[in-house]
Amino acid sequence: MSATRRFAARLLGIAARCAGAESQEWAHAMLRELDYIESDWAALFWALGSATAIFRHSVPRGFRAWLGKRAGKWEAMMGESFAKKAVGVILGIVTAAAVAGTAFGIVHLLFRLFPAWDLGPVPWWVAVIVIPEIIFVVAIVALWRKRRYMAEGILLSAIVLITHFILHVANHYH
Amino acid sequence: VKLLLKLTPQTLLVLDAFLLAPKQWRYGYDISRHTGLKSGTLYPILMRMADRKLLETSWETTELGTPPRHMYRLTADGLGFARGRRASSSTITVPRTAFAGVKS
Repeated sequence: MSATRRFAARLLGIAARCAGAESQEWAHAMLRELDYIESDWAALFWALGSATAIFRHSVPRGFRAWLGKRAGKWEAMMGESFAKKAVGVILGIVTAAAVAGTAFGIVHLLFRLFPAWDLGPVPWWVAVIVIPEIIFVVAIVALWRKRRYMAEGILLSAIVLITHFILHVANHYH
Repeated sequence: VKLLLKLTPQTLLVLDAFLLAPKQWRYGYDISRHTGLKSGTLYPILMRMADRKLLETSWETTELGTPPRHMYRLTADGLGFARGRRASSSTITVPRTAFAGVKS
């Protein structure tokens, strides 16, 4: 085997090895044909043309596959992360609303059941605002590391509640 | 999908080569010699045709020790497509000289 033919075979072999999975069959097909070309120079030109064809076939497909894989992974990651975060935050808000609603309900019920009951020095908003806010803070601290998104939901609710209270006081007691 | 196959003069040459013996399996190098196309031009055309199911491929079963060769043949769809395209484009693929139509 001449040096030219050896070089041609080696070049096409490298191209076949570098080709992606989808181009492997074609790359080997071109490599096999090399054995049936009589002239060494024709074999070399065959190898050069074939290597070009392999790369033209393989590179766009490889790039598309890589891009598709990356996009799929990113989409899955984003989708999972967003859903997880949304569920956590909603759960936190619902929990906080339940706590605040329960506190407000208990105070309201006590006033209804015992109209003469006097809270004495403790104003009503301590029960409705301060106690739930303390519960929120404790819950936020407890959940922050393990259930961050739920804690964020509770934090959001706590901020809304305290803002509402401040606005309420500002409007009624200025 | 089949319509997306770009009908270049080189593609028509390949279709012609297959139409000479539609049922016969052909080798890449033989098609190259017949059409005069280099491997860098021929194989992308074959790949595109195979992608569009116009061409079927097969590995030749050989005796022990002989490396198998890749063979190509038009599918039924490919045959219909080739005949249809060949008929419709026969008037525009007549070889022309570089100065055709120029009066001296």
